[in-house]
Amino acid sequence: MAHIQPQTLDSSIPATTPLERPARQSAASASLYAQTMHRLQRSKTALFGLGLVLGLVLVAICADVLAPYSPILNDPAATFQPPSWQHVLGTDQFGRDMLSRIIYGSRISLAVGLSSVLLAVFIGVPFGLIAGFYGGTLDSIIMRAMDLILSFPVFLLAIVIMIMFTPTAGLIGAMKVILAIGIVRIPIYARLVRGSVLSIKEKEYVEACHALGQRDPLILFRHILPNCMTPIIVTGTLSIATAIIVEASLSFLGLGTQPPTPSWGWDLKANVSWIQMHPWLALGPGCAIFLTVLGFNLFGDGLRDALDPRLK
Amino acid sequence: MRDYILKRLLQIIPTILMITLVVFAMMHTIPGDPIIALLGDAYSEEDAMQLRQAYGLDKLLVVQYVIWLGKLVRGDWGTSILTSRPVLQDVLLRLPVTVELIALAMAVALLIAIPAGIIAALRQNTWADYTAMTSALAGISIPDFFLGILLLLVFSFALQGLLPSSGWVYWPGTCPNLVCQESVWGNLRHALMPALALGVGRAAILTRLLRASMLEIIRMEYVTTARAKGLANTVVILKHALKNALIPTVTIMGLQVGFLIGGAIVIETLFALPGLGTYGINAIIARDYQQVQGFILLVALCFVGINFVVDLTYSLLDPRIRYST
Repeated sequence: MAHIQPQTLDSSIPATTPLERPARQSAASASLYAQTMHRLQRSKTALFGLGLVLGLVLVAICADVLAPYSPILNDPAATFQPPSWQHVLGTDQFGRDMLSRIIYGSRISLAVGLSSVLLAVFIGVPFGLIAGFYGGTLDSIIMRAMDLILSFPVFLLAIVIMIMFTPTAGLIGAMKVILAIGIVRIPIYARLVRGSVLSIKEKEYVEACHALGQRDPLILFRHILPNCMTPIIVTGTLSIATAIIVEASLSFLGLGTQPPTPSWGWDLKANVSWIQMHPWLALGPGCAIFLTVLGFNLFGDGLRDALDPRLK
Repeated sequence: MRDYILKRLLQIIPTILMITLVVFAMMHTIPGDPIIALLGDAYSEEDAMQLRQAYGLDKLLVVQYVIWLGKLVRGDWGTSILTSRPVLQDVLLRLPVTVELIALAMAVALLIAIPAGIIAALRQNTWADYTAMTSALAGISIPDFFLGILLLLVFSFALQGLLPSSGWVYWPGTCPNLVCQESVWGNLRHALMPALALGVGRAAILTRLLRASMLEIIRMEYVTTARAKGLANTVVILKHALKNALIPTVTIMGLQVGFLIGGAIVIETLFALPGLGTYGINAIIARDYQQVQGFILLVALCFVGINFVVDLTYSLLDPRIRYST
């Protein structure tokens, strides 16, 4: 690590008043933000993806208002009803309204998708920062732990964790799925951030921070982390799509949230035996998963192109 | 090359030990006491203590792990509570179906991705490119099992049994017992839909990647030189550009194997194939943890093995890899 003399440092740093500095930083970040937003607004596919995602969020928030029936209420007199004005997407073997189940199912998919990615980011990013910044034994220990997680196929490890947790219904059941999917995705962010930190920590402004005597946590979280945010945001957005598919797959195998909690994957599993006679039972939840994942993928792709046009 | 293989093999040992450690930890964190489950209504403290001693469950966890590891190495993966058969024998009988499914899915992925990726790159920003990229995005977004259901609705139900909706016919000479059917045509008919359901998503990822690699490669000077020499466009693309564009594709293919294994578990369940996936899921439902343990161990070991093979393939495609590691 090169040590810079305070005198040299003083003369090398442009003289700015405390008022000027934030203004300049703010102008630069506003410009970057404006450029990104401009590029994002020009991408029709990204806007379409954003529209799908926002639509899903709205449906999940307003489920109580939008759903015409209770998603868990059985109606033995109305089993296997085909799509009609009364039941737009028909009813299942227990007479439950499929549209209502899909509307409420959006809550689980969205909650699991967003929360598991946030969990992975909040654990993986600090690990990556520390590993990349300090290197040496700490780096080896953290990265070997990450390698341990990566030595399992992602989905298999999620299955293992769900067996250990024992799947249940309701909020607790959803939290177990969030934990399972979040844990298996931690190494992605740890590796991503570690790679970025390894190059960023060699930059002159980081050396200047050391020379100014700034403490490590301040350097890490104020100067290095903001420069790693682009890949984290892009990977995070695209990871939500993957997390939603993993949640649906776990539910399809009976290892996700348990009934009566509405879940798109579970509905597909429960109705797959009846699809020859009543195909709408599979089409509703399947299309809901497809459109949600498509929305996050389109928006994630657009965001990546907007944040780093070189990748286009 | 021999040193490289040896080095890679040595690197696998700690990974395998870590896998066994995780599986052992999983078996010991599952809620419920196996001895109570084993004794059932006949439970008594005395019998339970005797059984704990007999199974070595009264020893320290570290000692239990070492004993268990020794048994694994000797091929004793436990006995299924459901079938009373050795677990290792059962999982090995199921393995070929899963391997065939994954291999066919990968073949489907490559058969779609290579032409689509090349055409999309060569016809950049034309309708062919847009069609390929839109299809790829749809392919990435559709879950394997939903695509499988759509294929079932079309090929098994709407087209009245054109392709079978479930079951399996073995490739001649691979039937593990005396009651199964064997036929090449039957095998391909049963494997086609599961392989398509599993392969399309991977094809989408590989198409996007191959397009990006080809776009980069076809602008390189050596490709221009090859064209200037008067070589036919087909030769330039297939012989000079494609080989280099395939290097990142092979790497991603290796990473995709993990997703294929996960996908295979779901697809086998959907199409009721007698592979490792259905074996594992049935074991989880029946809470036969000896079978669950065997299933997880074998799948994880296969994953390590496949990654090893991919590493070797990668080093064959790009010899610089061998010298830099």
